[in-house]
Amino acid sequence: METLDIKLPQMALLYGLCLLPWLLLWLIGLRLSRDIGVGILRMSVQLALVGIYLKTLFDLNNPWLNGLWILVMLLVADLSILRRAGLKARYFVLSTFIAIASSILLSTAYLVILVIQPTHFYDARYIVPLAGMILGNCLQGNVIALERFYSALRKNENEYTTFLMLGATRWEAARPYFREAVKAAINPTIAGMATMGLVSLPGMMTGQILGGSEPWLAVKYQIAIMICIFTSSTVASIINLKLNLAIAFNAFDVLRDEVIKKP
Amino acid sequence: MPPIIRFNQVSVTAHEKTILSDISFALFVGEKAALCGKSGSGKSSVLRTLLGLHPLKSGTVYFQEQPLTPESIQIIRSCTAYIGQEPILGAESVREALLLPFQFKAHRGHRPTQAQLLEVLQRLQLPEDILSRDSSRISGGEKQRIALARGLLLGKKLYLLDEVTSALDAESKQVVFDVFSDPQLTVLSVAHDPEWMDRCGSVYELEAGRLTQVRRHGNS
Repeated sequence: METLDIKLPQMALLYGLCLLPWLLLWLIGLRLSRDIGVGILRMSVQLALVGIYLKTLFDLNNPWLNGLWILVMLLVADLSILRRAGLKARYFVLSTFIAIASSILLSTAYLVILVIQPTHFYDARYIVPLAGMILGNCLQGNVIALERFYSALRKNENEYTTFLMLGATRWEAARPYFREAVKAAINPTIAGMATMGLVSLPGMMTGQILGGSEPWLAVKYQIAIMICIFTSSTVASIINLKLNLAIAFNAFDVLRDEVIKKP
Repeated sequence: MPPIIRFNQVSVTAHEKTILSDISFALFVGEKAALCGKSGSGKSSVLRTLLGLHPLKSGTVYFQEQPLTPESIQIIRSCTAYIGQEPILGAESVREALLLPFQFKAHRGHRPTQAQLLEVLQRLQLPEDILSRDSSRISGGEKQRIALARGLLLGKKLYLLDEVTSALDAESKQVVFDVFSDPQLTVLSVAHDPEWMDRCGSVYELEAGRLTQVRRHGNS
């Protein structure tokens, strides 16, 4: 079963649908033409580029090239996490990289090598989209974990200090905020699993069904990806926060101001 | 006998602002001392510096003649109780708050018995039923006495008190004075209260991060 192609005139027709929200927004007095234009243009150009390199990646299917592609995704995710969490890259670029790289490699390798078992484990058709999807969700989780950890620590600075004064080690004193941060990071994934299929059809499953897969196969892949996302988000946020505990404090267990970007 | 605390030409800056400059003083075991001065003069910073919360720019802080270093900070913190204006109890109920430090590795295995809890409450004239009360529902003065009780349960010898008497009524204040009449306990306090300062053996006056005056009373 082949998916029906969308031809060029139909693509143009598709963009035409945007005129409706644009008109409505304009009527209610929201002047967002510029933002909408930029958004649609960026989406189109970025996806076109992704199309080009995915096509190349799939055609060549070279293990080194696939590996390099994953490495690039990891680096981009690394910097994006730190920027969004308001942390200075110079202090945390390595720790966040270690956290996400180890957890993504673990869960992707587990899924591809042990579960899916393609002829070549490096097959771009499997590792590139799967690693990408897991990484995307892991990124969200790590942003929340870091952001929440530092905001809880700063909000409860006196409590943290009190714990230190009562004989707690750095780890013992920071543990409440550490737990809070991990919980906030993985809660969306747990809640997402609990409502999966009820509220909306998950994106990957929809894609596979459109691509001609049997619904059962699509369901199994969706379960696989959710379990991997849950695993990698948990592992990555715990490793990342543990490394942060070692980096972001001075020898007297006081949070170093200079590691956090000024708002 | 060597001093328990000694500041030797200590200067501290935070966010490029000088908060303490060239502070030198010594405190001996059993001594009760007060730091006074306008707000922002650096009184609380002296206490925080001793606890390793401000990095030193120059000079040395000694605790039992050991310089303050990342290695010695655990010892200093384990011997010292810091009690502020509104101490943080850090647990749901008062009982949990009193037992909180005994969850930490440093104090695990020294958990006080019920009898010891009651004894310390009595010493601070706190009612027994306060144990089951919610931490958020007790007054500032009670919180200070509970923080003090926690210090006593931990066997702390040095008490850093930041404006402690401000929230206490006359009776509670007397209770706190009585506790600190113990010659084993050393007190370094930040105070405005003249009655408290009268009871302190030495009073250090600070102005803009400098030590400007030292008054000594005979009773120490």
